[in-house]
Amino acid sequence: MLNNFVMPDFNPAMPEILLLSMTCGILFVDLIFGARHRWMVPLLSVVALLVCAFVTVNTAIGDPVLTFGNMFIDDLMSDFLKLLTYVAVVAVIIYSRGYMKARGLDKGEFYLLMLFATLGMMVMISAANLLTIYLGVELLSLSQYALVAIDRKSTRATEAAMKYFVLGALASGLLLYGMSMLYGATGSLQLGEIAQAASQQSTGNHTVLLFGLVFLVAGIGFKLGVVPFHMWIPDVYEGAPTAVTLFIASAPKFAAFAMTIRLLVTGMFEYAEHWQTMLLILAVSSIALGNLAAIAQTNFKRMLAYSAISHMGFMLLALASGVLAGGDHSPAMAAYTSAMYYVVAYVLSSLGSFGMILLLSRAGFEAENLTDFKGLNKRSPWFALMALIFMFSMAGIPFFVGFFAKFAVLSMLVATEHTATAVFAVIFSLIGAFYYLRVVKVMYFDAPQDNLPLRVGFDMRLVLSVNGLAVALLGLFPQQVMSLCQFALLRSL
Amino acid sequence: MKTTYLLIPLAPLAGAILAGFFGKLIGRTASHCVTILGVATAFFLSCLVYQDVEAGHHFNGPIYTWLQSGGLTLQVGFLIDKLTVMMMLVVTFVSLMVHIYTIGYMHDDPGYQRFFSYISLFTFSMLMLVMSNNFVQLFFGWEAVGLVSYLLIGFWYTRPTAIYANLKAFLVNRVGDFGFLLGIGLIAAYAGSLDYTEVFAKREELALMTEAATGWPLITAICICLFIGAMGKSAQVPLHVWLPDSMEGPTPISALIHAATMVTAGIFMVTRMSPLFELSDTALNFVLVIGSITALFMGFLGIIQNDIKRVVAYSTLSQLGYMTVALGVSAYPVAVFHLMTHAFFKALLFLGAGSVIMGCHHNQDIRYMGAIRKYMPFTWITSLLGSLALIGTPFFSGFYSKDSIIEAVALSHLPAASFAYFSVVAGVFVTAFYSFRMYFLVFHGKERYDQVPHDEHHHDDHGHGGGKPHESPWVVTLPLVLLAIPSVLIGYFTIAPMLHGDWFGSAIFINAERHPALEEMTGEFHGPISMALHGFASLPFVLAASGVVLAWFFYLKRPDIPTAIKQRVMPIYTLLENKYYFDKFNEVVFAGGARLLGRGLWKVGDQGVIDGLLVNGSARTVGFVAGLVRWIQTGHIYTYAFLMILGVLVLMSRLFLSAW
Amino acid sequence: MEFKTVLFYLFAAVLVASALRVVTARNPVHAVLFLVLAFFNASGIWMLLDAEFLAIALVMVYVGAVMVLFMFVVMMLDINIESVRRGFWNYLPLGLLVGTILVVEMAAVLGQRYFSLDALPNTAAEAGYSNTKELGRLLYTDYAYPFELASVILLVAIIAAVVLTHRERKDTKAQKIGEQLATRRDDRLRIVSMASVKEAPSVEKAVTEEGNK
Repeated sequence: MLNNFVMPDFNPAMPEILLLSMTCGILFVDLIFGARHRWMVPLLSVVALLVCAFVTVNTAIGDPVLTFGNMFIDDLMSDFLKLLTYVAVVAVIIYSRGYMKARGLDKGEFYLLMLFATLGMMVMISAANLLTIYLGVELLSLSQYALVAIDRKSTRATEAAMKYFVLGALASGLLLYGMSMLYGATGSLQLGEIAQAASQQSTGNHTVLLFGLVFLVAGIGFKLGVVPFHMWIPDVYEGAPTAVTLFIASAPKFAAFAMTIRLLVTGMFEYAEHWQTMLLILAVSSIALGNLAAIAQTNFKRMLAYSAISHMGFMLLALASGVLAGGDHSPAMAAYTSAMYYVVAYVLSSLGSFGMILLLSRAGFEAENLTDFKGLNKRSPWFALMALIFMFSMAGIPFFVGFFAKFAVLSMLVATEHTATAVFAVIFSLIGAFYYLRVVKVMYFDAPQDNLPLRVGFDMRLVLSVNGLAVALLGLFPQQVMSLCQFALLRSL
Repeated sequence: MKTTYLLIPLAPLAGAILAGFFGKLIGRTASHCVTILGVATAFFLSCLVYQDVEAGHHFNGPIYTWLQSGGLTLQVGFLIDKLTVMMMLVVTFVSLMVHIYTIGYMHDDPGYQRFFSYISLFTFSMLMLVMSNNFVQLFFGWEAVGLVSYLLIGFWYTRPTAIYANLKAFLVNRVGDFGFLLGIGLIAAYAGSLDYTEVFAKREELALMTEAATGWPLITAICICLFIGAMGKSAQVPLHVWLPDSMEGPTPISALIHAATMVTAGIFMVTRMSPLFELSDTALNFVLVIGSITALFMGFLGIIQNDIKRVVAYSTLSQLGYMTVALGVSAYPVAVFHLMTHAFFKALLFLGAGSVIMGCHHNQDIRYMGAIRKYMPFTWITSLLGSLALIGTPFFSGFYSKDSIIEAVALSHLPAASFAYFSVVAGVFVTAFYSFRMYFLVFHGKERYDQVPHDEHHHDDHGHGGGKPHESPWVVTLPLVLLAIPSVLIGYFTIAPMLHGDWFGSAIFINAERHPALEEMTGEFHGPISMALHGFASLPFVLAASGVVLAWFFYLKRPDIPTAIKQRVMPIYTLLENKYYFDKFNEVVFAGGARLLGRGLWKVGDQGVIDGLLVNGSARTVGFVAGLVRWIQTGHIYTYAFLMILGVLVLMSRLFLSAW
Repeated sequence: MEFKTVLFYLFAAVLVASALRVVTARNPVHAVLFLVLAFFNASGIWMLLDAEFLAIALVMVYVGAVMVLFMFVVMMLDINIESVRRGFWNYLPLGLLVGTILVVEMAAVLGQRYFSLDALPNTAAEAGYSNTKELGRLLYTDYAYPFELASVILLVAIIAAVVLTHRERKDTKAQKIGEQLATRRDDRLRIVSMASVKEAPSVEKAVTEEGNK
């Protein structure tokens, strides 16, 4: 009976397999040495991610390879996004070590849960099947729920975790519901087959697919955190320990982007015009609400949360401009490239911005209010400069990576004749610039509230500086990353 | 070589960043070291590039494509030819001198590091401007030098006069920039490109077009718009009013920015655009008239100034007018030649003036100086050399450039040339008179430095007046000496190749059939020595000499005469005193008109639209949205979940409605 | 009408009714019991679909294990259901409206037109077909990858449960010098400004104040 079963090719999934085995190994190391040698788990985690990066680069073939009964896909886009994910997670581990240690939260599980979450993201990124997408989402989410609640003493964190969990379950339900409709209409879970079926089916099933699409978009919207599926973002960002917020605000955005591309572009490209309209609605409301609400915040983490909402909305604008009315999809590749670039730019700046909070925090003190940034320039000109770079990049001020990302998206919008939307986006970007610049003003022109020197490790100083310089340099040399994104997408879609 | 090109602007930029952001951290000495090192690097690399260009290696191409989006390509590109390399050498050399000089001049200033950062940043911007091969980068450099200039004019931001001057420079330059931007916009619209080479390739087509909206000849419109930009930056009448006031800034930047480099950016730009300007006689006549008015009438104003820096400033205005005149008669090489010589001797004069100011304990009024030569020998000699160069004494570099301008005007056939000729020749006399009036009052005559009325000197940052003048430290005198050398010699050595030897080659385009002035001059040129010897017998020399003698007579021999004259011709004196009422005019007509208009707009626009709708409106919107967000973000899970469901409902209903 | 159809409607009716009761029951224990009933009915429906493995797994796992545990928890905690249900009637109209629209719209799409028995005919299984065996075969061959992923999710769930519940000893008295050094003055000390000498009110002032009173 098992005669027709062929052993799948494990090679393309080598990074995932390795990460899982190494994570399980680290679990044991933590069990045996963890209590005495706290430095071991983070170190090993970084090593594991570096090994994965090495393997990912070495197994990159260029052409898409399917394995595990076509449920797993290894293409350049997935390789590229996975590498970025490793980078982001390594940065998160280094940034958060001191912070978690000062709060007695640097348990091995913190790093292990992040590794499992990373595995979840990798699964999402490499998913070619509705089932694997869903499992990836669950693996990632479950780890994140636990991470948010990792500080058991904090009622704020527990409450945030609870909200995140319940809403996440609801979003998963919506996503699953949509997937089941897709399955019902096409009889397949395979994204490729769904796409094929969508282009051939009789008109009847189109309606079902379209309604399934609504639920898929809702699920995606939750993962990205765009209006009206954004409600968890401010509460979770503010409530979670900052190191966890940093994690949630960075690497998972890559996975969410990959999931969006897989579901909508690979699977439902036939209905591009429909999902574009939906994304446009989400995007426009996110940009408006995110930017306006951010102005009213005095809590830096909450402000960044609303800024995250607006940024993800901005990214969706690019995705929503790929296919022209009438089905001309010549601008699609350029549009998805700019969306991908936007995500990269956002994650880089976001890592740095939350990194600044971790930098300024210390035992018993969270630098989460805008006032805590007062006079940073007097305390540390270098890191004030770094923070300035991150804020400028987020605000989209020229010659930083964020500007180019915004510019690419806007030029896509204009090229596809969404001029009104582009004007709207520009106006709200300008409004948004206000609250970023307020941070800069506070850092440079206000008197410091406390003059304690910054007490962080050399590794963090180094990585944060590299992060800041990357944001600055990529703004000066945007074309390279842009071509990388373009190349990865071109060879994958 | 590309790397070298790139390093030239980046070295000062690196210095500026280090001194600007980490000045407090690395200290004063390190700050001036890094910036000077950066500029020195730029200077030596420029010398290398000069050798390379002399060997015939020109370069024109993109260094770095910043972004490509649709039809628009924004790139950093360099055009390295003879014109560029000459500008690079002048800019980096003068900048280096000024950097060194600043160590002494700003020694006690609390904003020491900031100042070094600014001047290095300025050097970077100016280099980007001159090295550009496209209009976007040109405009970037143009605005960047402007920005640094405003920052530096208002460097002593605690003084209200500095803030006022700063604002004035800003506003006046906006007028110029508006024209400049309009010109660039016209080029982009009609030539479809912003790359010099591509635009110049289409010049014949452009010449035949007319501007769609107005029906004006396109090329004339473009050239006049561009020239309006040059008028703002190079301070031509009537956009000159900001330059004298810019003297509120520290003296080193007056030398670097407001004499040697930035203000000549307009001259450089027009020269660079010579292929376009050559196509429009109307534009050239316009340039010529503006230039001659500036050259003569700004010189008159120099005569009555008592502030040492303002005398030099008006002289700068007048000399910029000379350059513009040269542009107008299509003698572009002569214009940039004068630009170069002027950069050296005017920087020298400014730095000399700065040295005098330091020596006289920050008194700037020449009426209270006198006989300083005894105390400040280096400053005295170098200033004398600078003044001689300025008035055009034969064999000095200023002679070669100024005489060439006068000759070129004489040979021009443009309608406005006769007026221009009168202006430039009369200007020689005026120049000589005010230069030596200042020279005699400062360095000769009776010692009057102890008569300083105490409320007069507003530069009382430190050390109140009194006490004898003293020579400045070596960091101040060394640049004076180093600048004096080219001020005297450079004309002699470079006139033959630059003006008559086709040294510029393809960098400058002259339509010799229509504008033969320069070509005819070349025919009459028999080497620098014979030109100088011939110069002794020419009208300009006679005028210059009589100017000097008159100054001597009035201010050393019979100091009572000027006062007497002043009383006789009170109306003229008042006219000059008020700078031809330009400021008054601006204040009454433009500012007043603007105020009137403003008051009207304020009622309707500001209070109604801006305050009511935009400011209060946006505040109210933010408040409203914040309230709304607070209302939604209740903290209760069921609200959140409900909103998600509502979102699904909206998306689904939209689909539902569009499907049925 | 076949007997199977009758059974289906029976199961379905009881399922919906008990699901409603789960939400509306005043006693949490009742709610849990209704949930058990709902599971049984769902399992019955699956049985009608020949999915006997899933049907039995549902009963065994959810009813046998999860719900029993749940019951213990509910009985041990003193949940004040009234406070949870506060505002129920306020929100009901809006909720009902949105719910109705959703149901109507979905019914229009997912109704008879596309998901009737004609559209999706039941393929008759051959004799000796074992649902359980087929599932097992698929799980360990074609679906090995998702199956492994599911196991990783379970592992994460275990780790998360341990992290969130495991308590360490709290009675250690080791000094944390770094923390002590990093403490700010404001954390420990609050300075209250009080005048050291309080001036007695002057007589006239006291008099006027008296007068005012």
